Amino acid sequence: MFNKLLIANRGEIALRIVRACQELGVRSVAVYSDADAQAPHVREADEAVHIGPAPSSESYLKGDRIVEVAKQVAAEATHPGYGFLSEREWFARLVRDSGLVFIGPPAEAIARMGSKIAARQLVIAAGVPVVPGTTEPLRDAAEAAEVAERFGYPVLLKAAAGGGGKGMRVVREARELASSLDAARREALNAFGDDAVYVEKYIEGPRHVEIQVLADQHGTVLSLGERECSVQRRHQKMIEEAPSVAVSPDLRRRMGETAVAAARAAGYVNAGTCEFLLDKNGEFYFLEMNTRLQVEHPVTEFVTGIDIVQWQIRIAAGERLPFPADMTPRGWAIECRITSEDPANGFLPSTGRIEYLHVPSGPGVRWDGGVAAGTTVGLSYDPMLAKLIVWGATRDDAVARMHRALTELTIVGVETSREFHLRVMEDADFRRGDIEIQWLERRLPELIGASPDAARVRAAAIAAALLADRDRHARRGNPASAPGTDATPGGGRGAMDPWIIAARRDGVR
Amino acid sequence: MKYIVDVNGARLEVEVEADGVRVDGHVVDARLTDVEGTPIHLVTIGNEVHRVASRRGDSRGRYALWMDGYRYEVEALDERMRAIRDLTAADAETTGPRPLVAPMPGLIVRVHAAPGDRVEAGQGLVVMEAMKMENELRTQSVGVVRAVHVSAGMTVEKGALLVEFSQEA
Repeated sequence: MFNKLLIANRGEIALRIVRACQELGVRSVAVYSDADAQAPHVREADEAVHIGPAPSSESYLKGDRIVEVAKQVAAEATHPGYGFLSEREWFARLVRDSGLVFIGPPAEAIARMGSKIAARQLVIAAGVPVVPGTTEPLRDAAEAAEVAERFGYPVLLKAAAGGGGKGMRVVREARELASSLDAARREALNAFGDDAVYVEKYIEGPRHVEIQVLADQHGTVLSLGERECSVQRRHQKMIEEAPSVAVSPDLRRRMGETAVAAARAAGYVNAGTCEFLLDKNGEFYFLEMNTRLQVEHPVTEFVTGIDIVQWQIRIAAGERLPFPADMTPRGWAIECRITSEDPANGFLPSTGRIEYLHVPSGPGVRWDGGVAAGTTVGLSYDPMLAKLIVWGATRDDAVARMHRALTELTIVGVETSREFHLRVMEDADFRRGDIEIQWLERRLPELIGASPDAARVRAAAIAAALLADRDRHARRGNPASAPGTDATPGGGRGAMDPWIIAARRDGVR
Repeated sequence: MKYIVDVNGARLEVEVEADGVRVDGHVVDARLTDVEGTPIHLVTIGNEVHRVASRRGDSRGRYALWMDGYRYEVEALDERMRAIRDLTAADAETTGPRPLVAPMPGLIVRVHAAPGDRVEAGQGLVVMEAMKMENELRTQSVGVVRAVHVSAGMTVEKGALLVEFSQEA
């Protein structure tokens, strides 16, 4: 096992890796930008090194600088997490060439699966089913139109280097094609520095089901079963679960074997994920392989009992996988991504300082977070603040538990996706498992517009009146006379009531 | 003191008295206290307990409340203030369509509007990029573009005025 490991990431995933290191007795080294000097991943690590200013292009994407730091602190390995440098072939190569161990697949496997076009050709040769589409990047709008006519609308434009919904566009009519191609190219260029875009037949109404794969250095490649990630907005996953209501033991075995075949074809080692579309007839199509740890790995950890991040490190250190080839998931796990996005306002990003954070706990609840009270949420990084994950004996139990945990969760200071997740947990379709990748886009207006019942509205009106009344008395400098409110000042706050201070500030605005 | 409270489009009257509140003609024991060391309020109504987070809005009496798993936009005003606000709101309706403002800080990617353009409600006029995602900003009502204050490549702060409209001639 390694003595010391450098984590080339930030936020919740960096903290997740710190935790795995501590449990394995490996010293952890965090890196951080100006914006993250006191971030939770820095606080919990054994060592921390500053690597640059807040923009990720000058810090967390600076692979050469990070490798330099790893050598300086005598780390033996580096874990890239997800995003940032995790799927950059050159970074994996640089780490290896510098005499360090990259916790992830070999650079060659990243390259084989990194371009979606090359990956398609590779897996087709391995007998893996794929969605009909082009195998070359589109030259121009005219070629796109010609291909789209051949497959029939709707078609999907996808960045060759893409991921996370960036550089992706569904085109339903010929007249939208040219502008969508421009937009997809622009996003692809901005996000990945590569504007290659290809087109495929758009399959309506499929589920997004993916298979977690673990492969050791000794030729063992295992499937850890499926995750269902159909609750998506703009191709971004919002909620994931394991297992899937749509996957029978037989289908699980077949999809698992297919994923293992794809991984073998790429010469894959370490943790990876094969994404599939699963249509209503139980046919599945390979989409892509993510050559890294996934955001949603905890749901698989809950139902298999396998610590995927620890095993990534163990595999990289040369250990053999001791697990059986045929695993049956135990119980049900659900994950909600808690983001600093405002569901009531079109999911626009919300920024600010987290003034207060109450994390849910109790049976079967896990919080993988990268923020704390005092954290400033800016625009430099991904809006995902944390993941809330629950386990239950059945899917119904897990849904009820998630609802309970979301209710406990309190974040003051930034808008979050919490209420959105609560509405999904209350939704009849979702509770039946009747979801597919377009379900959320269709249901979103209703989910967001859902209004509380009259009793709740009445309670909110009472709370509002009590608040307004307290503020009114505070403005008059006579808080003690406010009826129905407790004006006792808090400990250590001195004689000046904070409401008065606030009111005076209001007055000089 | 009687408050007229607007909650998510509904209007309720709540009278705050010394021993509780009067709603729908009933007096219930209702109190608001702060949870020590946190910005959380406990609102008790009879025996019911509600954990409430609040944020003051942009004008007196306006709050965002997080309570019982919902977020509420509320406005609680006494009768006099309520009457003044209602008059001002009625006045604002005759001054023309609301301008398009930046809902977040970010980069202007494209602008599909020029002075004199007629626009429909829901028409996308400006594309902004924030957190590496493009977001299309749409008009709220029919109107004619009076002024465009941004162009592609500009970085804007939250609340920046992007496009102004006048009412149709």
